[in-house]
Amino acid sequence: MTRNLHERAREIIVLAGVGDRNQARGRDRNEDRVDPQEQIWLQAHLQECAACRDYADAASRAVSVLRSQPLAADSGLVRTTQMRVRVRALELRRQQERFWLVSLACLFVGVSAVITTSLFWRAFEWMGVRAGVSNWVWQTGFIFFWIAPSLIVGAVIVARGTQLTGNRDRLWS
Amino acid sequence: MNAIVYCFLNAMESETGAIARGLRRRDPDLLDRLIEQYQHRLLRYLIHLSGNRELAEDLFQETWIRVLERGHLYDGRHEFSTWLYAVARNLTIDYLRKKSPVSLDGLMEDEDHAPFEPIDSQPTAWEVVEQHEQAGRINAALIGIPAEYREAIVLRFKDGLALSEIVVVTGAPIGTVKSRLYRGLNMLMERLEGTQA
Repeated sequence: MTRNLHERAREIIVLAGVGDRNQARGRDRNEDRVDPQEQIWLQAHLQECAACRDYADAASRAVSVLRSQPLAADSGLVRTTQMRVRVRALELRRQQERFWLVSLACLFVGVSAVITTSLFWRAFEWMGVRAGVSNWVWQTGFIFFWIAPSLIVGAVIVARGTQLTGNRDRLWS
Repeated sequence: MNAIVYCFLNAMESETGAIARGLRRRDPDLLDRLIEQYQHRLLRYLIHLSGNRELAEDLFQETWIRVLERGHLYDGRHEFSTWLYAVARNLTIDYLRKKSPVSLDGLMEDEDHAPFEPIDSQPTAWEVVEQHEQAGRINAALIGIPAEYREAIVLRFKDGLALSEIVVVTGAPIGTVKSRLYRGLNMLMERLEGTQA
């Protein structure tokens, strides 16, 4: 029972009695404050118990020793970090702009495809009839015409990607 | 008294709100200001967490890059420093997991990495020697403490975070945080007394 009382006193000392910088910084928080009754009980206990008094002193000393250690970032690190952050921010902004452009282009292509598909279908049908070819010929022509731009763009992207990979391999080798 | 508390909370909310809005915009000027404002606290935390100044400096830079990239996730409800610490902590844990599947303590035992050094503006030669000795004692005492206890001690007693803020940073329940503080400080006291004896 006595041991529990000492432990309770020491817990209060550690959790709220020492090292609360919030108070000093004007950021005192309700949840970190010791209950006034506990504070009164702790003071009474400390007056009676030399071991806990010593513990409180030792805890205060340990915390002040811990705080006395000066650790600071140097200005070079700060400047490098600021520069890296700015460069990355610029990259992200460019990426975002590209994303919006590509999204807008996709939307435009989608809408125009919906509108023009039926028109082109009729145009191919009309040309097929005028040329006197069978249905499958003008329908195949229509499909080829429709997918040709995607095929060309795809081929260009693949070729460009291969070329870039080759250049990078040469640079790193 | 209540009016003062209300004004203080309002001012804090408007400040965190302004930071949250700035981070959503990826405002570089705001980030410059934040880097300067939190430079020492963040680096100190990272040094104590990783036990290695060089690594801490790398993680310092990566933390700010991550703040830039994921700034939209900061909602402004907590203090910015709490969120910043949580970002730094996650980054450190990710890095250490990738680097080697050992605990943080394993890294602390790496003798190849120089311990952190004190930096002061214009110390005399005697002060430098004294500071080195003192820093060495604290360093030795801290390194002997398990990482989770060390982290709690640094956040509470060095950086002055409230218990609720440590809960947010570490993701541990309040009871665990209290227990880590109590046990950690006891360990630190024992070790400091041991080095002084």
